[in-house]
Amino acid sequence: MIQQLFVDRLGRYLYEKGRLLGRYVRGGRTIHTIVTFRAAVDAVIPRTPDLAAELGPEHVPGGLEIGLAEYLISYVNHGFQLGLPQLGPRGTVALARPVATLLDAAALKLILRGDHTSPPSSTYVWPLISEDDSSPVPFLRAAGPFARLHPEDRLRAVGIIDEIDVEISRSEDELFEFNGGLVGQLVVGFAKLIYYCEWQGYEDYELPQSARKFTEDPGSIQGWAQTGYPGVANGYPALRGYLGTEDGPLGAGEIWTTVDDDPDRPAYIREEPGQFRENDYDTSDFEEVVPEETR
Amino acid sequence: MVADAYDAVIIGAGADGPVVAWKLAEAGLSVLLLEAGPFHGNKQWPKPHEEPGAEASSSVDDLSGELLDEQFTTREFEMVNNLLFGPADYKRGFWMRKFPGDGAILQCAGVGGTTLHYTGCHPRAYPAAIDEQGHWPISYADLIPYYQELEAVCDVTPAPVTAKEELFFRGAAAAGWDLIDEANVTRPGYRPQPNAIRPPDAMLHVDAGYDGDYSAADLTGHTLGVCDISGNPHPRGAPFEEKAKRASNISFVPLGLRTGNLTIRPNAFVTDIKTKPASGGRPIATGVTFRDTWSGDVESVAADVTVLAAGAIETPRLWLNSGLPTNEWVGRGLTIHYGDNVMGLWTAADLERTIGQGTVDQFQGQDIAARFDYPGLGMLQTVGTTPGIGAILGFGASAAGFAFQHDTTGEPWDTTGRLAGRQLKELLAGYRRMLQVLVVSDDHPHRRNGVTVRRGIADEHGPIPLVNYRPSQADRVRRDKLARIAAKILRAGGATHIHRSDSPPTALHLHSTMRMGKVVDDGCEAYDVGRLFVADHSVLANGLGGPNPTLTGQAVAARSAAQIQERYFT
Ligand SMILES: Cc1cc2nc3c(=O)[nH]c(=O)nc-3n(C[C@H](O)[C@H](O)[C@H](O)COP(=O)(O)OP(=O)(O)OC[C@H]3O[C@@H](n4cnc5c(N)ncnc54)[C@H](O)[C@@H]3O)c2cc1C
Repeated sequence: MIQQLFVDRLGRYLYEKGRLLGRYVRGGRTIHTIVTFRAAVDAVIPRTPDLAAELGPEHVPGGLEIGLAEYLISYVNHGFQLGLPQLGPRGTVALARPVATLLDAAALKLILRGDHTSPPSSTYVWPLISEDDSSPVPFLRAAGPFARLHPEDRLRAVGIIDEIDVEISRSEDELFEFNGGLVGQLVVGFAKLIYYCEWQGYEDYELPQSARKFTEDPGSIQGWAQTGYPGVANGYPALRGYLGTEDGPLGAGEIWTTVDDDPDRPAYIREEPGQFRENDYDTSDFEEVVPEETR
Repeated sequence: MVADAYDAVIIGAGADGPVVAWKLAEAGLSVLLLEAGPFHGNKQWPKPHEEPGAEASSSVDDLSGELLDEQFTTREFEMVNNLLFGPADYKRGFWMRKFPGDGAILQCAGVGGTTLHYTGCHPRAYPAAIDEQGHWPISYADLIPYYQELEAVCDVTPAPVTAKEELFFRGAAAAGWDLIDEANVTRPGYRPQPNAIRPPDAMLHVDAGYDGDYSAADLTGHTLGVCDISGNPHPRGAPFEEKAKRASNISFVPLGLRTGNLTIRPNAFVTDIKTKPASGGRPIATGVTFRDTWSGDVESVAADVTVLAAGAIETPRLWLNSGLPTNEWVGRGLTIHYGDNVMGLWTAADLERTIGQGTVDQFQGQDIAARFDYPGLGMLQTVGTTPGIGAILGFGASAAGFAFQHDTTGEPWDTTGRLAGRQLKELLAGYRRMLQVLVVSDDHPHRRNGVTVRRGIADEHGPIPLVNYRPSQADRVRRDKLARIAAKILRAGGATHIHRSDSPPTALHLHSTMRMGKVVDDGCEAYDVGRLFVADHSVLANGLGGPNPTLTGQAVAARSAAQIQERYFT
């Protein structure tokens, strides 16, 4: 209980600290938010040099190489709105900073419980800094407990986050509560969606759709190259036929193959489409497989 | 232009609203259909996410297949962002709602509603779920004529077989299940999906040697590239009404507009239902107030009959925010087909042996074309996804923590939970050799589950929906049994690695928050407010036993349209 209280207080303190860290701002984002999101992205879709031998060199780079963390921050900051004037012109709730703060609170909770497997260290922060960053110092300084965790421990921290309720204050007398589960959805779920979808193929996704330019070379999209997805297509000559039996109505014509060699009623893939049979039905002997006993 | 008064005003142009709109307009009533999201493929809104465009559309000539081709790029991220429930303006974020845990609600805004995302699967309900589970005031037989009519309008046919369906059917047969060829399902078995999608051209047979551009100049029907979730406007070049996927904007909207009696106003978010006192103490609905989502301007319109069709979350939200008489079931009883994902991965050699090619290539075919039914438990369906949606559906969200934290000894799956890190990349490297199966269970309506609102937690349209959902123990057991059946089918089909995601409550199918027999009568008119009808999936008295709900939602809506005419316009 006391630990819980401590963690909650600390969460609030960190949230305030997050605001102060606003001094180190790059394009409206604090360095703390950036390094924390990079830490999350790197845990979810890491660089994997050892996959080169097994699967090929195209499987090495991860989310950081394509700037996924920076985009995720922007997506999370612009993606949800309440349309309220006090929240800015569009009433958008900029969620990235509270999310980053929450990840730190979860990391602390993990550490306090002793559920982490490696001691937190700045060694884990270094891979989050790229050659394009002018200096590593602000990153090392801004890195909170989450970014200092071993990547696998970061996932453990996300795993316990559902237990934490987030409170996003909208104004003095109103509270907006969100279950922490949204955080996992944002930094794990959305990170995967954006990594494996076509996002990297746009010259500038922030432009309106009619002005967006999309790559002619699907193989240049890292997530697609790593899955073997060939890109959007108008269609495929992939029709094998229609499922059907000898005497049933579902399909007719030439047999392509047999899918069920049940001697009583073999099922085939046939040439022409059919339809379902309008049958009589009798439900009088229906019994719940799992009766609703408990609530 | 939108007039001051109509015979009927309908709130929401999703799966079901356009059915009522068409039926009433066809009967000669003047109808206004208000939709919160944009209108795609319409000449009045050439850039629906960038500019406010015109006010309303009343002519079938406004529809444009060419514009739909341009706007529906089928690129998954762009389409998800354009279609999910939010304002048309691309600069603004999604409309917020609270959902417990790390689950999510997937609903769309726009003419067509969530059928813009849907995969066209149109099975009927299980007869036993209507006749035996004790939730419904009407019988399955009452629905059959409506099923038959709508199946014809939406071109429902047994879905075509490509490699991924053949693989699933082989697994199901090898696991000992029977093929079902009946429309009214009373026993377990596998079958092709009854899909509201025009069948592919025979030219696309693997042996026919087609190498054209798949446009309407060459062919009709589905072009067998997975993109139904991303809006599927194929065949490219086809007129609006000839697109293969019969989402409600393609099937019912043109029928409605063609009558000349229907006006559709998109970008109009209804915020209030107006009532006046009437004899007997039961108020009657007199019209609505709505807000233009681009300008913020507020307008009102009067109607003899008002129809709520805003979907299972927004319909109760609007009811509660309008201060209509409460009843202990308003907003309650939510069912979501509490679901899960089970994924199989094959080796190239095993695939070569079973389906004659070394890959499944789940990006080919219709998105969802094979199913397994089990009245009393629910259903399974294969799903082909593009990699981004596949990653988030199958491995992204999980109530079970991360896979590396779980021991699966003795279970029919090899891994379970959220996948991340090296393990995720390694598994997804096998994307072309994997197939996902969606578990869709028959969760029952419980009063604790549903939609509430709280003053203060509001957006520009009033208090936002706070959605609660906790499955019962029996709901969990049904889902678990289905997941095990799915794993056995995939294993029998030769999969070497099986992953169960153990998803958190993720709602693709949402129903029964304004149940027939509890909030509305058996003609879908509200017990507590006269001249107010509900015509969307919220009236479904339960989850239909598990089958995809849209055909039944639309059948009930068509039946309600007949009731509206009978009660107020004869
Ligand atoms: C990815 C995906 C795939 C699916 N596939 C299938 C499938 O194959 N088969 C199937 O049967 N089902 C499928 N579904 C589910 C199906 O799409 C929905 O169950 C169905 O669309 C619900 O219909 P509805 O009319 O109740 O609501 P919706 O279709 O959600 O329509 C509600 C409409 O009302 C509008 N609205 C809301 N509030 C307001 C307001 N206040 N004022 C004005 N307008 C408002 C919304 O913008 C929306 O357009 C799928 C769902 C998803 C997400």
